[in-house]
Amino acid sequence: MAANTGQGRGFVTFLVGFTVTCAGLYLSNKLLLGVGLIVVLVSLFQFLKLKPLEGKTAQGPSPIVMKLLGAFLAALGWGITLFGIHLTGGTSGRIVLALVGIGVSLFGMIYVLPAAFNKNAIWKA
Amino acid sequence: MNLIRRYCLSLCMLTLGIAMSVAAHAQAAAPAAAPAAAPPPSAAELKDTAAKAPTTADLAKGDPGGSLTGTVGDVPVSDTKTGLTLGDTANQVGQNKVAINFVWTLVTGFLVMFMQAGFAMVEAGLCRVKNANHTYMMNFFVYGCGLLAYWLIGFAIQMGGAAGNSNLGGLQPLNTEHPISLFGKTWGIFGQNGMFLSGHTYDVGVMVIFLFEMVFMDTALTIVTGACAERWKFLTFAVSSVLMGAFTYPLFGNWAWGAGWLSQLGSNVGLGKGYCDFAGSGVVHAVGGLTGLAVALIVGPRIGKYNRDGSPNAIIGHDISAVLIGCFILAFGWFGFNPGSTLGASANGNLRIGSIAVNTMLAGCTGTFGAILYMWALKGKPDASMSGNGLLAGLVAITAPSGFVNTVGAAIIGLVAGVLVCLSCAFVESVMKVDDPVGAISVHGTNGLWGVLSVGLFADGTSNYGGSWNGVTGSVTGLFYGDASQLAAQLVGISTLLGFVFTFSFLLNLVLEFFIGHRVSAETEIAGLDIPEMGQLGYPEFVFREEAGNFTEVPAAAVA
Repeated sequence: MAANTGQGRGFVTFLVGFTVTCAGLYLSNKLLLGVGLIVVLVSLFQFLKLKPLEGKTAQGPSPIVMKLLGAFLAALGWGITLFGIHLTGGTSGRIVLALVGIGVSLFGMIYVLPAAFNKNAIWKA
Repeated sequence: MNLIRRYCLSLCMLTLGIAMSVAAHAQAAAPAAAPAAAPPPSAAELKDTAAKAPTTADLAKGDPGGSLTGTVGDVPVSDTKTGLTLGDTANQVGQNKVAINFVWTLVTGFLVMFMQAGFAMVEAGLCRVKNANHTYMMNFFVYGCGLLAYWLIGFAIQMGGAAGNSNLGGLQPLNTEHPISLFGKTWGIFGQNGMFLSGHTYDVGVMVIFLFEMVFMDTALTIVTGACAERWKFLTFAVSSVLMGAFTYPLFGNWAWGAGWLSQLGSNVGLGKGYCDFAGSGVVHAVGGLTGLAVALIVGPRIGKYNRDGSPNAIIGHDISAVLIGCFILAFGWFGFNPGSTLGASANGNLRIGSIAVNTMLAGCTGTFGAILYMWALKGKPDASMSGNGLLAGLVAITAPSGFVNTVGAAIIGLVAGVLVCLSCAFVESVMKVDDPVGAISVHGTNGLWGVLSVGLFADGTSNYGGSWNGVTGSVTGLFYGDASQLAAQLVGISTLLGFVFTFSFLLNLVLEFFIGHRVSAETEIAGLDIPEMGQLGYPEFVFREEAGNFTEVPAAAVA
């Protein structure tokens, strides 16, 4: 189906909702904030309704749990680094723990996540 | 004769000795001979000087030599009865300083804005002709999406608590950073002032910093369009860009540049001068590159990119001339990116702008060398697209350290980046099996991280931007110059980029995948995105070849 008027209208709704949400935040106006968030949600459901009309994409299904695990590992690495800052006062210890954290994040990002997305990749068929 | 020659020689040596000792004495005595500081001008002297200002009659005759234009007569007087006072003069000096810095920051911001054109050319040139309009349009529209989101809320999150920059007059309206208390310390999390640039932030200095920071943010956003080119649905791209300009970029930007917690690592826990990222290897490029990786993972590889055995096919772009010209435009814009990040040319050590510009040049040069020599020596051809990526990789890598390193350090950083981009492209494509048509993940993500790391290694401790950085007295100094704690701060920054920015972007775009879907249909993808997504071809008079012809016949050895 590609780009169409439904998408265009949905995007307008999203932008209006987003702007009203920001205005609600700026003015500390809960009513405006609530209306804005509702309009954003409406736009998202507009998009969801249009999604099946797009046609079949060249993507295979990928395991959601593995994807979330990859994201979790990436975030966990960050947690290790932050914890390391307070765990030790020495520079060497902090460097080592930061490197461990970076390693864990990279494992999630460049091993687990690609493995999840490539598990049923279309090019394997 | 011999005696006379020996006498003359001795005389010469004696004269030389006396001359050298006099010179040495003069050098040693120089400080003592320095004149005492002149007393400040009296009111009478000021009036006398004002009286000698060229008259309108003098100026009416023309001033071809320029000696009559811009004199004491041009200094505004607050009270005509009392005439020129010391206060008037001092105010004019202060305004001149801020004016110079405003103009510098604005003009360099304009240069950075023009980088959008370079990105558009590089990305579109590296894509197939059937997707040219779509790729150009993403690069065009990302400017609007990002700007709108940044004006609404992004700027407030990033810079809402960044008051205190004396280069731009203090920026006092941006004085509210939302803090949290953790482990007995206060850490900045996000700024709060500046939404819609209204209220107190309707301020001349705030407008200048908004423009400069906005074009940086847009640079980060446009990186993602390259990594996901040729299969990213235009609608999803637009929504994703709005959210990135509103939240992802500003959050990390605040932590690094807006008085956030990364910048406080020095003052709070003694890690060097805190996380240091002079012009944004991390804040701009790594954020863009890692978001690009997150979205490229979700959107998946283009049809035909991989064979059944997982081996990649190189899909050649349609216009290498656009790619290389785009690279030059980007290199030109980088002279705004890095030297402009002093946020001024006057006071606070800002004369280092020349050094920063030269470092930028050098790293771009050695980055190009690194990529060309790597490809030529190991793969057989000085690959043009990889050469362009080498230039960009060098520039990306020097962005964070440009204000803190010397020229030798800059050259090494660029050279490493040039080789690194080739290795990273091969790794992303062949090992991770992530399709990145323009190499954005490697150029901006990998080398953005390398740039952040290199500050912790190569910062030479000679920069002095007002005597402190991130509130810690002294100059930024890396491991090779004696401060390992700076390296630790940089590693925390890298970990945050990987652990927070990537994860946040990934989850945000996973939500969009659920509601909108990132990828166009297979039918659209094969036809090319220009007609289905944009309604017209980029080049209507081009005749398309069969799809198979778009894949390279060049052996894999010629491409990383």
